[in-house]
Amino acid sequence: MSSWRSLLLRIGDKCPEYGTSSDFKEHIETCFGVLRRELEHSTNDILPFLLQCAEQLPHKIPLYGTVVGLLNLENEDFVRKILENTQTNFQDALDSENCDRIRILMRFLTAMMCSKVLQPASLVVVFETLLSSAATTVDEEKGNPSWQARGDFYVTCILSCLPWGGLEFVEQVPEEIERVMVGIEAYLSIRRHNSDTGLSFFEEYDDESGKDASEKDFLEDLWDRIQVLSSNGWKVDSVPRPHLPFEAQLVAGKSHEFGPINAPDQPEPLSQLAGVLYGKQKHHAELKYCQRIHRLNIFPASKTEDMEPIDRFIMEEYLLDVLLFLNGCRKECASCMVGLPVPFRYEYLMAETIFSQLLLLPQPPFKPIYYTLVIMDLCKALPGAFPAVVAGAVRALFEKIADLDMECRTRLILWFSHHLSNFQFIWPWEEWAYVLDLPKWAPQRVFVQEVLEREVRLSYWDKVKQSIENAPALEELLPPKGGPNFKYSLEEGKERTEQHALSAELIIKVKGRQTAREIISWVEESVFPHHGLEAALTVVVQTLIDIGSKSFTHLITVLERYGQVIARICHDQDKQIMLIAEVSSYWKNNAQMTAITIDRMMGYRLISNLAILRWVFSPANTEQFHISDHPWEVLRNAISKTYNRISDLRKEILTLKKSVVSAEDAAAKAKAELDAAESKLTLVDGEPVLGENPAKMKPIKSNAEKTKEEEISVRDSLEAKEALLARALDENEALFLSLYKNFSNVLMERLPDASKAQTLGALKSIQADEMIVDLDESSEMEVDNENGRPKKSQSNGEKASNVYKVGDKEQWCLSTLGYVKAFSRQYASEIWPHIEKLDAEVFSENAHPLFVKAVYSGLRRPVIETSSS
Amino acid sequence: MASLFKDPSKLSAYRDRRFSGTQEEFERALQTSTTVYIGNMSFYTTEEQVYELFSRAGEIKKIIMGLDKNTKTPCGFCFVLYYSREDTEDAVKYISGTILDDRPIRVDFDWGFQEGRQWGRGRSGGQVRDEYRTDYDPGRGGYGKLVQRELEQRQLVDYGTGSLGSFPPVMTPYYGRHGGSHGHGGYHRHGRDYHRKRHRDDDRHTNDSSRRTLDHESRRNSDPDSRPEKNPRFRESGDSDEDEEEYDRKRRS
Repeated sequence: MSSWRSLLLRIGDKCPEYGTSSDFKEHIETCFGVLRRELEHSTNDILPFLLQCAEQLPHKIPLYGTVVGLLNLENEDFVRKILENTQTNFQDALDSENCDRIRILMRFLTAMMCSKVLQPASLVVVFETLLSSAATTVDEEKGNPSWQARGDFYVTCILSCLPWGGLEFVEQVPEEIERVMVGIEAYLSIRRHNSDTGLSFFEEYDDESGKDASEKDFLEDLWDRIQVLSSNGWKVDSVPRPHLPFEAQLVAGKSHEFGPINAPDQPEPLSQLAGVLYGKQKHHAELKYCQRIHRLNIFPASKTEDMEPIDRFIMEEYLLDVLLFLNGCRKECASCMVGLPVPFRYEYLMAETIFSQLLLLPQPPFKPIYYTLVIMDLCKALPGAFPAVVAGAVRALFEKIADLDMECRTRLILWFSHHLSNFQFIWPWEEWAYVLDLPKWAPQRVFVQEVLEREVRLSYWDKVKQSIENAPALEELLPPKGGPNFKYSLEEGKERTEQHALSAELIIKVKGRQTAREIISWVEESVFPHHGLEAALTVVVQTLIDIGSKSFTHLITVLERYGQVIARICHDQDKQIMLIAEVSSYWKNNAQMTAITIDRMMGYRLISNLAILRWVFSPANTEQFHISDHPWEVLRNAISKTYNRISDLRKEILTLKKSVVSAEDAAAKAKAELDAAESKLTLVDGEPVLGENPAKMKPIKSNAEKTKEEEISVRDSLEAKEALLARALDENEALFLSLYKNFSNVLMERLPDASKAQTLGALKSIQADEMIVDLDESSEMEVDNENGRPKKSQSNGEKASNVYKVGDKEQWCLSTLGYVKAFSRQYASEIWPHIEKLDAEVFSENAHPLFVKAVYSGLRRPVIETSSS
Repeated sequence: MASLFKDPSKLSAYRDRRFSGTQEEFERALQTSTTVYIGNMSFYTTEEQVYELFSRAGEIKKIIMGLDKNTKTPCGFCFVLYYSREDTEDAVKYISGTILDDRPIRVDFDWGFQEGRQWGRGRSGGQVRDEYRTDYDPGRGGYGKLVQRELEQRQLVDYGTGSLGSFPPVMTPYYGRHGGSHGHGGYHRHGRDYHRKRHRDDDRHTNDSSRRTLDHESRRNSDPDSRPEKNPRFRESGDSDEDEEEYDRKRRS
């Protein structure tokens, strides 16, 4: 890397490039000094690299802005080009709805305004363009309020610029910026409050409608923070102002103009403001313009009190951008995160921000395992501070686990087990030993049990057993240690049945490398007629699974070789359910192998997703819904596999469509060439003849034919894939229809009458015992049932038993409703296209209101139109 | 996304000598591959552990454990095949350098699995790096093979069981000296949840069923043909007289 590059890249860092200095002013002077010399020869390299740095290291934007300001004094033309490029990029970003780029380029423009490169008035014009677009969008007559997410995003971007340049705006264009602020205030008054229901980390049990309205949404909250900032004279500790020492020089530079930009077209207005179409469009808009953070407050406010309100917003911006742009660069990412240019400590805020991403709903920008890695790296980078903060976060989340969203719980379990596996499984389990005294459905107990299960999967039973030696009683929560449960194992003293003999026979056949076909005929000729279908199924399935039980690879090998035998026996859904039941019985001591085997069988299409679904909702599994993750893991796998297949098809179709276009082009070109050749007059024997001479004609003709054939064949494969996709989508509809019907049925059986439990809070405060004794007394118990959380009593040795007050059945309902919401949210995009059918068949008046509420909340569907469609 | 700090064309600093194509073809293979190579694994890590960890990066198609070509037992590396390229990239980005079974594992793009590549390429059957190691690594069979042979000749290693060609079975005493920094007990592998592997015996591998039993206790206390740390495969033994090659050495920083 040549030195100007590393200077640009490393500016502001403590690094060898800048020697011992950590002074921004010196960094800027050094960097500028080198760039000035290089500018002559390397303009074409410097320009894109500088822009790239500014876009990908946004926490350094003030430094880059100042460097550009100084360059402006030397080479106006270069800086004009920077602005032109930025303008093009910005317009592109707006058109392609690239939110991160829009946001960051606006900050870069603000920084350039601060260093006198850009006229503040030009930037105000940008603000006004976006603001007016936002205001139109939420206007019920001219616009389309279902697209409010876009308007909110634009306004958020404008407000986000103010910490970086508020002071300059107020000093230089006070009236214009005031006009913008008034405009934003007006926008805030016409937009709808953005309800976070469905995306909040914690279930709200209080008066569910009232609380939500009083809580500020993200934009309202940012507006408040900006108000405080404004009243503090726009002073911010967390934003460096490196242009100030150079101000005297910078004012001499030419202040460029920034050409007008165009906000993208408004979405088509809607004929009605409620109903399915509104919901679909809202969903679509929120996907495109999603809110990048939901604040997770896990620590007491005292941990962050030395910050101004705006500092929190800025720190989140820094951290999220580092996470975004330095994804995949472990070292850089960790060192940037711990070395942000702010004068206060921020470990707690950093932990909250990372956890808020790990748990972000509906989906974090990256896979959860990325945040797992970041947390590990930060623990290593700040060994004295961060591990304790992480442990504090775990404790705080554990305290509130009963209220934590189901999806978040699953992610937390996966993260925590993985995290511990990287730190020798050390955890003060004795703190949580009391969960053994809680009922087996208590969420804290389930959490501990699931974490231990995942630890065992990542490691091995004895290792984990050893890690809980401070709380040996927790062994009770470890998964069973036993191995497979083979029906035909030849243990001594065990009775040998006919089926044992059949199984042994089958083993010999497999060892003798008989083909699947040979085994099928054996089954059909010798087993089935004499022993019946059920016996045949049990023997074949148990024996084959046993042969494949040694490892994942053994399983795959056996399924690849003898899957057809299973397919022949289990040809309909009922048999497939029996097949799954055999798998689950064989692996009853090993949830991971159960899940893997079912997943692979679905992969080889031996079982359908509908069969899996029906099995998951069978009584034995349904009973486990609130005390174990096992049935949910199987269900999650089945739905995600279905979803992956559809996504793959969509990708293939996209690629094929592109190939069709290029094949068409090629064919058209070849055809044109042929036509030209044919219409050409050639002299043959002195006579003019139509057409090129035959020697030349031949390749042209064959090329035309070949390209045409290619075009047809690509079209054919596209059609084939599209047919497959259409079928997959139908199957998907059937899947979700069945999923919701099953959910609705099992919930209907267990939920109390709608009149008795209209909210989750009411459901939660029903006492299991009192339900039977006296329903009316439940209110009395609410006093010590505050939030339904078990009261942890570490000091007194009193037994904590029965401290978790939610009853078995109520917890079952709460957990299941939580999963209804989680599935709806995760697959909202797949569910919305089938909403009409689902409305008609499942979400009708007969469905339990709490069930419908959970679905709506997961889909983020406005509730007003329940029965209008 | 993050293009400033890495050179996307530099996927791998080393080159598998067995790859027959040109450097460009090798790089193209790495850039489109959906296979990762995992190195520095413990011999005792099972496919299911690998599955649990690597499925967090995406849906897994296949796992191929690297095996000692003589003993047909895991020798510390494996391949994981994904369905999608994105998941493959995520496995490299997020799992490389993290811990599996108490060891920092290495995850790299691989040019693609081919039959034969599952076998160790070292003279003694395992990986080349385990030939010449001079440290004591309980997760990888103790000392390197050469050192081991020398110690054996000088009768410095007590195998206890007397099974030749085996690894030092006495773990715990060594552990304190060599792995003391873990401070978290020793490698008590004996009680490991191997039941599902213990019950059955694949007759294709019976020839080595008594080898490499890690500790005496499990042999005394459980069924005689228990093979705790073994992970025999369900594939035919392939010929694997390959030249030595190691997938090792400096990787990109």
